Amino acid sequence: MRSHKILGHIADVRLKVEGDSLEELFTAALEGMTDIIKNKICNADEFPVEEKIEVKSSNATNLLIDFLSEILTHSHIDHNVFCKIEFEELTENSLKANIQGIKVDGFDEDIKAVTYHEANVVKNEKGNYETVIVFDI
Amino acid sequence: MEIKDFKKISDVLWEIPKSFRSDMLVPARVYATEKMLNDMFRDRSLGQLVNVAVLPGIVKHAMVMPDAHEGYGFPIGGVAATEYPDGVISPGGIGYDINCGVRLLKSELNLDEIKPRLNELAHDMNREIPSGVGRGGRLKLNAAQIDQVLKKGVKWMIQEGYGENDDKNYIESGGALENADPNAVTDHAKKRGRDQLGTMGAGNHFVEIDVIDKVFEEEIAKAFGLYENQIVVLIHTGSRGLGHQIATDHIRVMMNVMPKYGIKLPDNELACAPLSSPEGQNYFNAMAAGANFAWSNRQMITHGVRRSWENTLGTSGGHLKILYDVAHNMAKIEEHEIDGKKKKLIIHRKGATRAFGPGHPEITEEYRDVGQPVLIPGSMGTASYVLAGTTGAMEESFGSCCHGAGRMMSRHAAKRQVQGRDLFKELERKGIHIEAGSMRGLAEEAPLAYKDVDEVCDVVDRAGIAKKSG
Repeated sequence: MRSHKILGHIADVRLKVEGDSLEELFTAALEGMTDIIKNKICNADEFPVEEKIEVKSSNATNLLIDFLSEILTHSHIDHNVFCKIEFEELTENSLKANIQGIKVDGFDEDIKAVTYHEANVVKNEKGNYETVIVFDI
Repeated sequence: MEIKDFKKISDVLWEIPKSFRSDMLVPARVYATEKMLNDMFRDRSLGQLVNVAVLPGIVKHAMVMPDAHEGYGFPIGGVAATEYPDGVISPGGIGYDINCGVRLLKSELNLDEIKPRLNELAHDMNREIPSGVGRGGRLKLNAAQIDQVLKKGVKWMIQEGYGENDDKNYIESGGALENADPNAVTDHAKKRGRDQLGTMGAGNHFVEIDVIDKVFEEEIAKAFGLYENQIVVLIHTGSRGLGHQIATDHIRVMMNVMPKYGIKLPDNELACAPLSSPEGQNYFNAMAAGANFAWSNRQMITHGVRRSWENTLGTSGGHLKILYDVAHNMAKIEEHEIDGKKKKLIIHRKGATRAFGPGHPEITEEYRDVGQPVLIPGSMGTASYVLAGTTGAMEESFGSCCHGAGRMMSRHAAKRQVQGRDLFKELERKGIHIEAGSMRGLAEEAPLAYKDVDEVCDVVDRAGIAKKSG
């Protein structure tokens, strides 16, 4: 189970993500970010672009933000957006994965950066992982 | 926190003492009317201001300008000074858009002369200067060129034919910070910036043709070469993806090294390191490179505006000269007086503008007697202001003042209240023609989403930290 939802923010975009595992949380966050960058692109039939990604961080929260930052950088450089993840490894400090996506012609929203502001991966009362992520746009 | 925690220093200046919270090292000040201060409780800007007062090496007071709103780490509109060289430098005190700033170009035309050609001119400028998201500029830099831009800023742009030799004299810091180090900038950042010179970006960035509606101080306006009914062009943009990536890269580094320097902070986005540390130096030199990129970007856009001017108006359009170019997201090493002694300090301005007062040697010579020009863009359909820096700013706010109107409504809320197409028509009826990347983007930037720029500039003028000139 995973979900993402856009919440209000005075100047930028705040996203709430939830997943019943770390993999689902990370996937929800990626889908949410991509949905901001290019609305509904993750409904596409095929994702022909494939890349490997590897990130290490001090804790799960920072790992999630650093993972999204890395993908955002790739998106800006190559104009590819990503929707699918195949995890080879995911712990609270380390991630190795193949990501799949699609080339796009322009973005709907220009995300400058994924911030650490308000980010805090915790388990909620349903036992799911959740956090808020704020994107500077 | 409540309003009763604030001491009223004047009708436009409030202070929360450092006793408010045990980890505060200095008091925190807010430039605002009572109503504006009450409005600031709607978001986290005041809580963030108190957090800034915790930064190691901070001196005198943390402060926030009347256009304040919630940011990352620092509030937007935040100003803080730390001791040089061992006080901290915090990328959150500069922002992701390093050297986001404003430039004003003066024309030789008045409104009547240009009115019949305005839409045509705007259309040509829109063609010359890419805006919106994911759009690249005409100039694609190779690796060697991007390093030249990062190191030399506007000087390189002029050398390559994208400006006049005189241009650099009318830009803060001459359009280039000397300590810029391209080696401190990652390949990722350089790749993000390689095709972005001469592009505006999205959101509240713009190129705008304005008319001087009112002169407040004749002497200052005369020194600036401004007069009523004069046509000017205002440019608002920053360092684009290159600057954003520099900030991202270095915030991550600093978060990981803070324990090494015994730094613990209430907010991750205040991540910092002593300026004298390798990480602090690396960030400062990368920030300078990002700043040089932003100035080069505004220079390339100026080149595009000048081309459009000539394409559309021919020789009858006359010359466009830079009045000034200011940064409103920056850290600078400056000398200021603390307790009667001159001290070297690291000044952080995030959504705040340098506003040096009369006589300061860094001000362009022809403006030195009246103070540095300070450019304050309003939202669409409202006024923008040219202020002048004051002696009061040097004494009270580390030579700083506000940067704009400040957001007070989320993009979502703005889009719920305003349809882009309706706003477009309403502005057209007022004689304001828009060339926008998207109607949705236009709605997000509706005037009702911003504070009243007249009130913001009124506060800084009454506080004595800037003077309205036009």
